[in-house]
Amino acid sequence: MPAPGGKRQGLRAPEARAGWLFVAPAFLLYATFLLVPVIAALAFSVTEVDRFTWQTDFVGLDNFYYIWSDPHFWRSFLNTFEFIALAVTGNVGCGLLMAVLLDRSMPRVLLYFLRFAYFMPVLVAAALMSLVWKFLYSTDLGILNYYLRAIGIPALGWLSDGRVAMFSIVLMDVWKHFGFFMIILLAALQGVPRSLIESASLDGAGAFRVFWHVKLPTIAPVVLFCITYATIGGLQVFDSVRILTNGGPGDATRVMVLYMYEQTFGAQDLGTGSAAALMLLLTIVIVTALQFAFNQRMTRE
Amino acid sequence: MTQPTVIERLQSALNVVHWRNLWVMVPLCAGGIIMMVPFLWMLSASLRPEGESYRLPPSLLPDSWNPDSYRHALESGLPFVRMFWNSFVVASFSTAGVLLTASMAAFAFARLRFYGAGSLFLTMLIGMMVPPALVLIPIYAGFAAVGLLDTPVALILPALASSFGVYMMRQFMLNQPRALEEAAMIDGASYWTIFWRISLPQLGPAMAALGIITFTASWNNFIAPFVLIKSLDQMTLPIGIVSFQGVFSGAELAVVMAACVMSIMPLFVVFLVAQRFIIEGLTMTGIKG
Repeated sequence: MPAPGGKRQGLRAPEARAGWLFVAPAFLLYATFLLVPVIAALAFSVTEVDRFTWQTDFVGLDNFYYIWSDPHFWRSFLNTFEFIALAVTGNVGCGLLMAVLLDRSMPRVLLYFLRFAYFMPVLVAAALMSLVWKFLYSTDLGILNYYLRAIGIPALGWLSDGRVAMFSIVLMDVWKHFGFFMIILLAALQGVPRSLIESASLDGAGAFRVFWHVKLPTIAPVVLFCITYATIGGLQVFDSVRILTNGGPGDATRVMVLYMYEQTFGAQDLGTGSAAALMLLLTIVIVTALQFAFNQRMTRE
Repeated sequence: MTQPTVIERLQSALNVVHWRNLWVMVPLCAGGIIMMVPFLWMLSASLRPEGESYRLPPSLLPDSWNPDSYRHALESGLPFVRMFWNSFVVASFSTAGVLLTASMAAFAFARLRFYGAGSLFLTMLIGMMVPPALVLIPIYAGFAAVGLLDTPVALILPALASSFGVYMMRQFMLNQPRALEEAAMIDGASYWTIFWRISLPQLGPAMAALGIITFTASWNNFIAPFVLIKSLDQMTLPIGIVSFQGVFSGAELAVVMAACVMSIMPLFVVFLVAQRFIIEGLTMTGIKG
């Protein structure tokens, strides 16, 4: 509680002490389980750790040279970008489309059902739904291929064909997550001032023009937030990939977190695993910074 | 906003104005049903005998009902009940811990003036960018060193470091009037009393939203137990069920699906009861973020 004109240290001292005490538990946990691990990962990345004796040797940038010269790493890097390009477009695109469709008067019961149907996948574990989708995607016995064949399209190797597998993972990801963006964008749309919409309508603008020239510019910051959020999440995709394809067929769907996991726990090498994890962090920081700069520019214009 | 009565809802449903939007509502409903297909498939696969799930053309309802899978999931050699309990313990402690520490920190950041508050808050914000997968490697090494791998503690403690929670609660608190707190201050109440008796009770909606978000995230977490837990007895549900599948192979599909249904049931119930809080909570983080 800032005392009015409270510049005197005497008044502030107990307040400062209380401030630190109230922050202390959260900050100590944050330091122990986030800051220290990040620093430890930096340290691991320049060492070779023996998993059994925990003996460490300084090896400089060897771990980084190792992953930079590993074609699997670069493949996982590119796969991750392919995934976010498709999944962010799908998630934010479907979210926006559904938000626009839902942003009108309809019976409460119906609205309740629709929100339930579109949002429920967001709440449920990706790992469990991946088990179900794995059966839906099954080449011979899956219902997706059954319906494809029924309308005369040849069956797809949803998870077994290297050209299709990434698309299948994206499809499940969009099913799972777009409801989240729908809810946020719907709230943003409903927050557009009625006066703006009404004056545009009075000027003779149709529903589409009202959306394009009035609503979309107003909610642009929220759309940009959704894109950034979806990108950060997408860069970390793991659960569904691990269960649906485990990176396969071949290298087709290996993403960065999976590569990191395989290095750390498969190859039992904490050093290269940490180096890969830091590359992931670096990617996230760069992508987020670029989007942030872009967002600043967009909102200023 | 007060909840409308049943009669008001009926009137709203019958309101003619709505039906102008029929062209949108029909495809939306069709889409909604398509969205539910994976859930329906899961439910019916759990209720039919083995083999029937693989029969094409697919049917929505089982030809012969076989609820035995649920009993099998509960009584089989695998500690499913134990996993349920593990998930519950981990999610409950994580949620309680995050709610308490995050609201305390938020109180300090939103209401108290102290040296270093700005940079401290910024430091915590940066943490939202750090991928959990990165943090897991050193955490794995650390817990291995102190012998806490394969325990619920290894899942609970890291979950308590929630910069998102601090951020969200602070945003909410900044939008609350501070008159009551100032009055208590003048009356000479201690900071703890002000926090506990005055600030905390006003945080109801934010606590509900953050609580549901934290609980769900913990309940669904896959990668942390995947890395930190090795023995079946200590597993939480998602990782446990995925290894169920490994142990049984495809032969016991119905049992795996029954386990899935049981483990998502609590989330269905929470969502039905608290849809408003969840949606408001998400909206709050999205728009004011």
